[in-house]
Amino acid sequence: MHFLAPTAFAFAAALPVVVLFYLLKRKRMVKLVPSTLLWRKFLAETQASAPFQKLRHNWLLILQLILLILVIFALSRPYFAGKTSGGRLLVAVLDASASMQSIDEEPSRFEKARRQALDLVDSMHDTDQMVVLLAASHTEVKQSPTGNKAALRRSLRGCAVTDSTTHLAEALKLAQPLVRDRAGGEIHLYTDGAVRDMAEFEHEGLNVTFHQFGKRAGNAGIVTLDVRSHPEDPSRRAVFVSVLNASSNSIQTELELRFQGQLIETRPLTLKPRETSPQVFNASQAEDGVFQVRLTTEDDLAADNQASISSLLPRPVKVLLVTRGNAYLEKALGTVPNASVTVAKESEDDARSFDLTVLDDVLPTVWPAGNVLAIRSTQTNWVHIVGRAEAPTIVDWKNTHPLLRFVNLDNVQIAEALAVSTPSWAVSLVDSPTTSLVLAGEVGRQKILWIGFDTLQTTWPLRVSFPIFIANAVDWLNPATATTAQYMVRAGDPIRLALTAPMTSGKMILPDKSERVISLDPTAREFVFGETMRQGLYELEAGTNRAVFCVNLLDGAETDTTPRAELNFGKYAKVQATTIKQANMEIWRWIAAAGLAILMFEWWFYHRRTA
Amino acid sequence: MPDPLLSPELLRRLEQFQLLARRRAKSSARGERRSRARGQSVEFADYRNYVLGDDLRYLDWNLYGRLDRLFLKLYEEERELPVRIFLDASESMTFGEPNKFDFARQVAAAMGYVALCGFDRVTVVAFPQRNEEAAARGALRAVRGRKSALGYFQNLSRLTAQGPADLNEALKRGAIEARQAGVAVVLSDFLDPAGYEAGLTALFGRGFHVNVVQVLAPEELNPTTYGDLRLIDSETGAEQEVTFGRYRLATYQQAVSNYCQKLREFATARGAHYFLASSATPLEELLLKQLRQAEVWG
Repeated sequence: MHFLAPTAFAFAAALPVVVLFYLLKRKRMVKLVPSTLLWRKFLAETQASAPFQKLRHNWLLILQLILLILVIFALSRPYFAGKTSGGRLLVAVLDASASMQSIDEEPSRFEKARRQALDLVDSMHDTDQMVVLLAASHTEVKQSPTGNKAALRRSLRGCAVTDSTTHLAEALKLAQPLVRDRAGGEIHLYTDGAVRDMAEFEHEGLNVTFHQFGKRAGNAGIVTLDVRSHPEDPSRRAVFVSVLNASSNSIQTELELRFQGQLIETRPLTLKPRETSPQVFNASQAEDGVFQVRLTTEDDLAADNQASISSLLPRPVKVLLVTRGNAYLEKALGTVPNASVTVAKESEDDARSFDLTVLDDVLPTVWPAGNVLAIRSTQTNWVHIVGRAEAPTIVDWKNTHPLLRFVNLDNVQIAEALAVSTPSWAVSLVDSPTTSLVLAGEVGRQKILWIGFDTLQTTWPLRVSFPIFIANAVDWLNPATATTAQYMVRAGDPIRLALTAPMTSGKMILPDKSERVISLDPTAREFVFGETMRQGLYELEAGTNRAVFCVNLLDGAETDTTPRAELNFGKYAKVQATTIKQANMEIWRWIAAAGLAILMFEWWFYHRRTA
Repeated sequence: MPDPLLSPELLRRLEQFQLLARRRAKSSARGERRSRARGQSVEFADYRNYVLGDDLRYLDWNLYGRLDRLFLKLYEEERELPVRIFLDASESMTFGEPNKFDFARQVAAAMGYVALCGFDRVTVVAFPQRNEEAAARGALRAVRGRKSALGYFQNLSRLTAQGPADLNEALKRGAIEARQAGVAVVLSDFLDPAGYEAGLTALFGRGFHVNVVQVLAPEELNPTTYGDLRLIDSETGAEQEVTFGRYRLATYQQAVSNYCQKLREFATARGAHYFLASSATPLEELLLKQLRQAEVWG
């Protein structure tokens, strides 16, 4: 059995009230009379001597009739029709990102959003349908289109908030086709507006209602975390942390740094309103482990007050340089910390014993299996050479890419370069008007950095940017670097781990200490774990091996919990937060309440008459 | 007497009345009432043949002169009229404002006084029987003569109403006890669960000329207590739950009226007088108007 409005059972609370009235009625006034004979005669006369009596004017009768009419009216579930006469498709998009955990709303932004979505379910017509989308780092369809209110309520109650970032655009892209070609299609967006990526979404005149949550931005959080070798002392580690104060007040807090749970340093911080404060900790590290940073003050959002990062001790990187002679390159590679360079004229095997291979204008007989920096390698499977470019001018380079960090190519001249068409696996890092000069990407598991010109035919080795680039390249191509990055993921993103040996079963221990047993195909080459909605440390145990993954929020857009009155869609469109309640409110509750009032009045009237 | 039952003014007016009896007195005692008995009076009744031993003073000598036969003149004997007053002294009579029992006593006093002035014998039967007031009750068993009026009033004043009563039983016993039938006055509220028919029938059967005076309290005729009530019978202790309001007053009054009408019909069908009196009714209204109009006295 199903009920359309199970909340109506709350009216059962009126039953004891009625019983109470009857109890009150039974409390009689005791009176001594000469004889009850006359009263018995009177009662005998008033009791029915015939099945029917003449209908007399009686206010109690009229009141009870009104009451009955109201009850029947209420049971018929009347409502005031809005503009649309039903058949709407409502898409409820519930933001489940970390910022919705803020407790500036009672009990939290997410809970309040859920309640409003439940109210929307209550206000649905019988012919309406609703879709429930849960938007976090990925959008989950919690309920496909249905008019079954019980199923909708169940799916809404099954929604849980996460520690991940918001990708509202993904949810809107999912909702868009549902409502685009429908009259009466409505998207109801339940979010606090703490989102980052709406610029890529075009509004296209969608019927979007933005239900905004959040009253204040009383939050500070860790938005960046990184660990590196200390630039001046390679034996030590530098931990970079940036803390954002999203509130409009200055705050004072303390930042704690722990390694493997041991407190290393506590640093007091004073943050001005909306200030981002970068902090660098200098710590020694004797073994592989996890650095954890934590803000000690309590604020509206707890999810961003701590973050953790795996730090592996730097290992020597073995570099094979195959060259016919390039002193600049040798020298640049020699200055890279922890790099042991082997120079060869010819590569004889696939160089598995080396972490990376540098091919300097040579064509190896056997291509290396590891990561490769290829300089002017013409005959490869990776790039398709279309010609030659004479004296190409460098017009653009991606200085945001890790390979080109601190690299300035302004004053580099090139005599000649290979002209290529940019392959699909690579991104072009340095461009000339006619061709890409530097390409980087991954082919299979192999990282490739391809340079389309001979460095000796350029002025680049004479520039300071050259050794920096080589150092960046070694760092980028170092397989160990890639491993370090694998150990830290954003909440909501999957944990991925390349398997060097076959693994069939394992156990993942989640931050809340619950366990997930993992079974893998023995032929699988990669381990993927997707249940990373909560931030914290995830421990993988497989046999005797153990790995710790750090799942963090680290998103300034989520940390900035400032309530937003409008959302920008695309470049031009925006949608205002609504305060409008649902129009199609059923009114039977009010009628039932009026019925109850009539009932009260009836009893009052009765007692007034008989008192 | 601190609180005289009847005012001197009322007594003076009552002296003018005489109980009117439709039947001839059957008392053996001499009085002022015509009777079927032959005896000494000025009222000629009949002749009969002289037999040896008759008083020669009653021979009709004129007739003897004409017919030469001896006839004796017979005169109607004037006898007294026994007046028996049944006074309900049960618990239910103590209610009402004014008190029903006080009102009934006043009526009894007035009735008795009129009878005493007419040289009739008055008997007051207060029921239920109570030993505590044996002296007063005994003295009220037979009162004669106007000179006894003061004592009669005093004894009436000493009576109190208490306990449950059986109206039928009291009337039946009174009917049997009476040596001669006469005038019977029943003063009661007639609110006996057992009814009144058997008792009154016994009186009628004995040949009494019955006057029924039903005394009800104003509260009984027109209740002013409303709400959900649990009523307790003062005599039987029986409980009755009733929900009563102004809107049911008319129905109640109709029920009371029906009950009284039934009693009235029962009484008048057997040649009795019936009077309904609220205890708040002015005594003069009942005594000087209603009883007179009904020719209880004149």
